[in-house]
Amino acid sequence: MRAAHPELAGTLDREGTRLGYEVYGDGEPTILLLPTWTIIHSRFWKMQVAYLARHYRVITYDGPGNGRSERALDPARYTPDAYAADALAVLDECQIESAVVAGVSLGGQYGVALATTAPDRVSGLIMIGPALPLTPPSPERSVIYEQFSKPYPEDVEGWGKYNLAYWHDHYADFVQYFFSQCFSEPHSTKATEDAVGWALETHSRVLEAESAHPGPESDWAKMLSSLTCPTLVIHGTRDRIQPYERGVEAARLSGGALLSMEGSGHLPNVRDPVQVNLAIRDFVERLPK
Amino acid sequence: MRALEPSRTATVDCRDVAIHYEVYENSGPTILLIPPSPITHSRIYKAQVPFLARHYRVVTFDGRGNGKSGRPVGVSRHSREENVADIVAVLDASETERAIMVAHCHANWWAVDLAAAHPDRVVAMVAISPGVPYLGRPHRHWSEVASTWDSHLDDPSGWGLFNREVIVTDLERWVSFFFGSQLIEPHSTKQLEDAVSWALETTGEILADSEEAQDLDLPSREEVAAQVATLDKPILVIHGDGDVCQSADKGRGLADATSGEFHLMTGAGHLVAARDPVKVNRLIQQFVDATTGVNMKTHTWSRGLSRQKKALYMSSPIGLGHARRDLAIVEELRALEPDMQIDWLAQDPVTKVLDRAGESIHPASAWLASESGHIASEASGHDLHCFQALRRMDEILLANFMIFQEVVEEGTYDLIVADEAWDVDHFWHENPELKRGSHVWLTDFVGFIPMPEGGSHEAFLTTDYNAEMIEHIARFPRIRDRAIFVGNPDDIYPETFGDGLPKIRDWTEDHFAFSGYITGFTPPNPDETEEIRADLGLEEGEKACVVTVGGSGVGQHLLEKVIAAYPMAKAQMPELRMIAVAGPRIEPESLPRQPGLEVHGYVDRLHRHLSVCDLAVVQGGLTTTMELTAAGRPFLYFPLKNHFEQNFHVRHRLGQYGAGTYMDYSATDPEALADAIVAHVGETVDYRPVETDGAARAAAMIAELI
Repeated sequence: MRAAHPELAGTLDREGTRLGYEVYGDGEPTILLLPTWTIIHSRFWKMQVAYLARHYRVITYDGPGNGRSERALDPARYTPDAYAADALAVLDECQIESAVVAGVSLGGQYGVALATTAPDRVSGLIMIGPALPLTPPSPERSVIYEQFSKPYPEDVEGWGKYNLAYWHDHYADFVQYFFSQCFSEPHSTKATEDAVGWALETHSRVLEAESAHPGPESDWAKMLSSLTCPTLVIHGTRDRIQPYERGVEAARLSGGALLSMEGSGHLPNVRDPVQVNLAIRDFVERLPK
Repeated sequence: MRALEPSRTATVDCRDVAIHYEVYENSGPTILLIPPSPITHSRIYKAQVPFLARHYRVVTFDGRGNGKSGRPVGVSRHSREENVADIVAVLDASETERAIMVAHCHANWWAVDLAAAHPDRVVAMVAISPGVPYLGRPHRHWSEVASTWDSHLDDPSGWGLFNREVIVTDLERWVSFFFGSQLIEPHSTKQLEDAVSWALETTGEILADSEEAQDLDLPSREEVAAQVATLDKPILVIHGDGDVCQSADKGRGLADATSGEFHLMTGAGHLVAARDPVKVNRLIQQFVDATTGVNMKTHTWSRGLSRQKKALYMSSPIGLGHARRDLAIVEELRALEPDMQIDWLAQDPVTKVLDRAGESIHPASAWLASESGHIASEASGHDLHCFQALRRMDEILLANFMIFQEVVEEGTYDLIVADEAWDVDHFWHENPELKRGSHVWLTDFVGFIPMPEGGSHEAFLTTDYNAEMIEHIARFPRIRDRAIFVGNPDDIYPETFGDGLPKIRDWTEDHFAFSGYITGFTPPNPDETEEIRADLGLEEGEKACVVTVGGSGVGQHLLEKVIAAYPMAKAQMPELRMIAVAGPRIEPESLPRQPGLEVHGYVDRLHRHLSVCDLAVVQGGLTTTMELTAAGRPFLYFPLKNHFEQNFHVRHRLGQYGAGTYMDYSATDPEALADAIVAHVGETVDYRPVETDGAARAAAMIAELI
């Protein structure tokens, strides 16, 4: 059973793609919880929704490729700008003028894109373990950038599994590995099971389309420096996916607050939900009224 | 002593009245504290200033008619308009463009007028126990006595004392009744004394004029409603539900009319800022930060299981004894918990000892207001009324508690060890929701004992303080996870806590564990004694008399008296040498010199001197006398006059050990002292042995909580 049930669960069509969204609670302001990498869907916010919805209106939606949204295979559907347009479509559909926006990992990119294209719709931006390439990737993951499209060796291990052909051949195994790295915290069995389950609701061709989304690469540093809304960055010091230094840099560039989570991994909202919930609430309460 | 001195003080002339103001410089928004004059002055905010000034720029002032401001006479000189003009003058003179206004009682009406007339000067308002006419229902007792204000009453009493003639001719009677009625909270003796004494700094005539001035230019209900409706400022109203000056309904009325935030404090009276300062300070901080958006800081949170074990240790700076026994406990604790990080929140002179021992001192220690400085400022000659000194330390204890609380909220401490850290124990019981970590309370005495000279009033006060402590622990047994008495049950003073209260020993045995005494050192054996004596340059056959007054800075007079006695004693006993140790807070150069007399400043490991001397002359402090007892040395001890702990608790404990010779300072002249020195030097003693495992026992009790 869910801890909170949506007041409204709808779908909308944006340029031919069906997106599923949900609205919880009716407090002010509205908190828009963005999708992340489409390997999982909006349920990854499950530890936030019930608490935040007791105080605010909370909107979640699935990006293209997972959950109740269409398994779109057009790479153009997965650019940060396309995600920003999705978010605006959801806000329009729910008749929300502006919202506090939160994103995890790639959701950090989507949030920055949204706040840049529509600054008047974003009253505050929270980035959790943001996937903003402001500092070099971790050495263990550099193999991804060299080997992704090449054939994988038979005895492939570790991040070598982040490989297009491996995804198609051994999707479930890749997913298992990926989330074992996301949850670097001990005793993360339930969090891993959940994430793997959501990942198995989509398939490798969706991830292929997402990974093939066309450039150009955005100037994230410049966009962060130009943000006009208050920001909060939350980043685990043991994040094996997005180095902690990226969060520090994102906070610095955007002139925002930083919550360092010592010992936390890539998804502190899942693994350390109490602190993340309280930090979101504190951030929202301090926003200019 | 104040907890914090202002950066600057000045006066500004406003319509021929000198208005005194004080500025506590800091970055960040300015907070202006507006007192409800002239019944009180800026000191009514003494519990707010040190805390707020650590976070914001703070300006305080004395309103016309009280404090260090002028005393204009005449009703028209106390109008709302005049008081608002004073506020503007203070803002201008202190170069404050705009500020968050914090006002109490009727001063909130001035703040509302100010915000309406000068909206650009007001960022936001904190209204404490506010009374603005027509907003909310006032208490009936005010309207009931309005008609007799100007009358001559034959036998006025109660609210009937609110009468011009009574106030003009017997101000104290009115303000004692008024503040006595306002302080509905039990155990408010200190707040009552403060409020009455500040009120008595004005005159009855001025207070009566100011009361009549409230009716000048009285706006209509509609005018007030229109004024507050257009304020458009963030406002926080804090009100006690038991406020018998301004009914809580008036606070709610102001909050409703301004769409402000209303914070009701139940069980609280009119003087919430004085009586529940921790809560009020935190409410102000939360409101200011939310309003101004400052202090969006960088935070770190550590996952529970990835945390190192951490303890925060607090050691009372009053006297040097706590530091050494606490170091001894910490050494034992490290043996049991080698991986635990131990930080100290401590101040001079404890930090001197800790520095030398290479301990980790929390950087917030630098912010602590000086407790030992306060104690020194309270001493006069060989006299320290330590109970009253502790009461008058209220604002310092509060200021230090607010620092402590910030440290524990950020520091993820598993364990808080408070060796007579009165602030922690008291304010956690007053604000139990603030407790963080396991709390170990250590003390070497329980119970305030009145000095006979203080008469029944002092007995009333000590009983009240003891009753509060007993009630605290009965109501919130979860605050102290362990209470350790540094000593044994027999050491407890065999009296009661006061009329109607239990025997100290019975209660303490029920609520404390006993560690035995903790000296922090092992007395030297005979061989070591010879070695140390040689180290100190003592010749064979010389008789060494060591004089020391501890670390508190109180003791110059005793040193001088002993130094004066020295030639007389030396004449009787040529082999007598005297070594006087002034301690860290007395300049050795300030003491008279005598041939053959050595004077030292601070001496490291003074216990080495004491443990090999042939006689010690000391005050009545527990640490030094017990060191002498443990080392089996003869000593004369002079308890400080009016120091209940030295006169009752320590003297009783020394009696248990059969140790030392009690001396009365005022009854002993240098001649008598010289005779006593000669009579006791080199005396063979037969004290009860002092246990040597106290630190290990205390550490074991503490370690159980980790």
